[in-house]
Amino acid sequence: MRRWFILRATRLLVIMLLASLAGALLIRYAPGFSSDQQELNTGLSAQSLQAIRQARLAESNVPRFYVRYLGSLMVGDLGRSLSLNQPVRELLRDRLPVTARNLGLALLLAWLLGLALAVVSVTLTSRFFATASEGLSVVFISTPAAALALVLVLLRLPAFAAAALLLFPKIYRYSSNLLREGYESPHVLMARAKGAGRWRLLAWHVAPVSVPQWIALLGVSVSVAIGVLLPIEVISDVPGIGQLAWQAAEARDLTLLVNLTLVVTFLTVCATTLSDAALRAFTRSPA
Amino acid sequence: MKRLAVWCVALVLSGLPAAAQSGGELRFCLRSEPKTFNPLAADDDASGAVRYLTGGVLVRVNRITQKAQPELATEWKVSESGKRISFKLRDGLRYSDGTPFSADDVAYTMQQLMDPALHSSTGDAFRSGEGAVSTRVISPTAIEINFPAPVANLANLFDTVAIVSSKSPLKEMAALGPFYVAEHKPGSYILLKRNPGYWKKDASGRPLPYVDAVRLDIEQNPDIEALRYRRGEIHLINTVSPAVFEKLSEENAALVRDAGTSTDTEQIWFNQVPGAPIPAYKQAWFSSTAFRRAVSEAINRNDLARIVYHGHATAAIGIVPASNKFWFNSELKPHPYDTGSALRRLQQEGFRLDNGTLRDKTGNAVEFSIITNAGSRTRESMAAMIQEDLKKIGIKVNVVPLDFNSLLERINQTHDYEACLLGFVNGDLDPNSVMTVWLSSGDEHAWNPKQKSPATAWEAEIDKMMRGQASALDERKRKEYWDKVQRIAWEHEPFIFLVNKDTLVAISPSVKNAQPSILPPQAYWNIEELALAH
Amino acid sequence: MKALRIAAVVLLLATGVAAFGARWIAPAGYEQQFRDEPAAAPSAHHPLGTDELGRDRLARLLYGMRVSLALAPLAALLTTSLAALLGGVAGCFGGWTERSCMFLADFFLSVPWLFLLITVRAALPLNISPEASAAVTFLLLGLLGWAASARVVCAGAKNLMRSDFVWNARAAGFAGFKLVRLHLLPNLRGTLLAQFWISIPVFIIAEANLGALGLGVSEPLPSLGSLLREMQNMVMLRPEPWRFVPILVLVLIVTSFQVLLRKQEVRI
Repeated sequence: MRRWFILRATRLLVIMLLASLAGALLIRYAPGFSSDQQELNTGLSAQSLQAIRQARLAESNVPRFYVRYLGSLMVGDLGRSLSLNQPVRELLRDRLPVTARNLGLALLLAWLLGLALAVVSVTLTSRFFATASEGLSVVFISTPAAALALVLVLLRLPAFAAAALLLFPKIYRYSSNLLREGYESPHVLMARAKGAGRWRLLAWHVAPVSVPQWIALLGVSVSVAIGVLLPIEVISDVPGIGQLAWQAAEARDLTLLVNLTLVVTFLTVCATTLSDAALRAFTRSPA
Repeated sequence: MKRLAVWCVALVLSGLPAAAQSGGELRFCLRSEPKTFNPLAADDDASGAVRYLTGGVLVRVNRITQKAQPELATEWKVSESGKRISFKLRDGLRYSDGTPFSADDVAYTMQQLMDPALHSSTGDAFRSGEGAVSTRVISPTAIEINFPAPVANLANLFDTVAIVSSKSPLKEMAALGPFYVAEHKPGSYILLKRNPGYWKKDASGRPLPYVDAVRLDIEQNPDIEALRYRRGEIHLINTVSPAVFEKLSEENAALVRDAGTSTDTEQIWFNQVPGAPIPAYKQAWFSSTAFRRAVSEAINRNDLARIVYHGHATAAIGIVPASNKFWFNSELKPHPYDTGSALRRLQQEGFRLDNGTLRDKTGNAVEFSIITNAGSRTRESMAAMIQEDLKKIGIKVNVVPLDFNSLLERINQTHDYEACLLGFVNGDLDPNSVMTVWLSSGDEHAWNPKQKSPATAWEAEIDKMMRGQASALDERKRKEYWDKVQRIAWEHEPFIFLVNKDTLVAISPSVKNAQPSILPPQAYWNIEELALAH
Repeated sequence: MKALRIAAVVLLLATGVAAFGARWIAPAGYEQQFRDEPAAAPSAHHPLGTDELGRDRLARLLYGMRVSLALAPLAALLTTSLAALLGGVAGCFGGWTERSCMFLADFFLSVPWLFLLITVRAALPLNISPEASAAVTFLLLGLLGWAASARVVCAGAKNLMRSDFVWNARAAGFAGFKLVRLHLLPNLRGTLLAQFWISIPVFIIAEANLGALGLGVSEPLPSLGSLLREMQNMVMLRPEPWRFVPILVLVLIVTSFQVLLRKQEVRI
């Protein structure tokens, strides 16, 4: 177990390092790296423009930048954002909680909706209800995130609701498949034959067997939720890290983007590791 | 005399339906997070807005009369042919934290502002020549500032210099203006509260500003901003897009106002940089005046104004909009929309129309790309219309929207582009503010910047005129020079000016005393007098 | 349910025919500007009205569907093939192969690829045709989108490798390519088709978002993405319901794909 944990942690670290380095290289060689929007300010003198460009070029040697960045990271210094003129640590301190809260609420809402629909449509065996929940999930799977985010802004609903609506169909589908499989497994058929009630069957016989899959689904849903929530933040102007990343991309802010890549990589890889671990535990245990 | 004029202005303003009640919180949006709260380093729009609302300045340019009026300074005098300015300061003023204000603060501010490491456009404007700027404090209420070389338009430049305190423990956060920064939630909002020590009073002796607080929400998406305005969550939008303006005015004409033609320009230019990575035959087209004039005549400017700007723009004649009565060269006539004339010009240059495709002397089909900044709906629409217009004279145009930094790199560094559609924001009406645009050695001389010596005879002529107007002290003489620059630019069209757009603002009817101006900050330049009806 | 599937097939066929027959059906060219009637309401000449520049909305919708319907499935095919290859190999061989493939997938999910897209767009010649630039955009999307699908395919392949019939097949002497072709691929078909159909709408929408960066389809060529982008002006939406038609069409198309996809899942 301990060895597994160390291995996983090392893997996570390596991916984080590689992804942030790749991100840094991509930004450095993207066009417009050495340009600054202030260049159109007719009030600035040639010397000032030169100085602004120099400040950007100081970061242009990526290996050197990266080594220096890692060095200061060790002592807890995340560097300074050139475009927003603030320490990255402060930016993250202000923005991460916003995103974390929305992520949590989106996941909670999506799971509640998805699970409720799945349970009800599987246990009730009502044709009408099954079709209705099926239709609902299909419509939301087919709706572009941008459009849904805009509609929710119009309806004065919070951004996490948009993320939840986009996320719940996936949870609904996967869990209704799991439940259906569960109901058809031999031990459940047996319990049913012995006259176990509908809810007792669900709580004692169907759900527990697939616990690892639920955990795996949880991991996957976290990484999907991140992917859905970040663009929504940009569209509905939520001051989270998605919006911050967009600003950093527009301004080619190397330091800020490298930090954000690290954060997103950390969350994504942790989530997928969780789901891998759950499935792994599952495949080992029956033996 | 000056004081009398100010009193007149004050009387006129107070004669308007004055605020019955004051108090309340005025709310509007900034499009981005301010990069700094240090007023001396403010260069982005959001920081500039906070500076305007919190900073105390010696002189304020009235956004309607466009004349300088006393603020912290009661009077001033420019001498030594523009190398010296002396101010007489108001007595007994205090910063928002109670620290007293004196001439030392002005000296300190100038010293901070001229720090070469600061790199702000406010400081750069004073850097007229080699040498240091010096200050001499004569008394706590009198100061003299000396510049190494004459500075044009000197007094007006102090409109953006917020005087920071040399002694306050709050440093630059101590405010002398009508408000101070009370709260800031990054990425979300800034709350400004009324400066209790603010000195200004209205005609009836009531302390200004009328509103108790200003809440600035940071809202990057202009569509959401418009939506919030329509719902009444915010009181004003400083600049609205023509499409939103039209929709809001259809709903209720009182929601929006057209303040008149702005000083901004929208133009296309062709890349004329020698050695730019474009084929030689294309460079030959772009440096031909006849080619540029033909393209200009093939663009239907009235359609651009009517369709893209919903009529809230006029076809541009040249650098200066015709509505600017003082600086506009009234001898210039609009470029006609005339495809026949355009084709004749092209034929004289050896171009020929061949099966609907225009070809040059050596048979190359005329095709070029126009780059513009992605995400600007008006520019992308204008580009699409120009594409259709030029198709009529056999020119194929490719529209390439690029993200802003990529665009800047192409026009300023690699020069890898053919034509560019962009606008200039001119906060100032004075030709001195566009020196770097028109001097052939200038950084913003977009079609061929930073030339060692002028590439063409007409650019040499413009250089001469621009230098002439900068050194002339007589306004009439300066106008003569500037008229000539406008004439040459009109004839050679290095910039093909497209439209002069109107300043469109949205101000809720519940905001009293609003008087939108064409100069920024358009909707709230008279923030102290704005009041909320309850 | 059968009726629903038939409806989906009919709808997809109809949109396909309409999109690819746009030249004959559309009331005008997609770039033609009727400058006397900009932003007009629906009329006999323009059944869906005109856009801000006076271009026929129906024509733009039909041609836009054509771009998106032709290119998004190609990109989805590319991405699914990559996912099948990497995920399949990882699932079949397990061990180090699996770990490396999944490492690569996690890495791919974490890198900010947006900048690669910006760089590629900058490297393209400025005078490239809008069609070619659209094709390049979708190609990149296809090349970069495989990682999430590969995880799913890998899990599916692993399950198969443990199943009884694969054990039987192995015992009967099937191995290598033959095993993959005869036993694994047919059984993974459901998973792969699901991934394929999920990718199509994702790419259509991704193209719309890239358009805001100047990376998508350029003027005057429309795409479903660029039509969606026009809807951003929310103040205008309420009184003009016909502007919602592009999004309605998109949702209908994707829903039809989904309905057909469910049938595939049932078959597994």
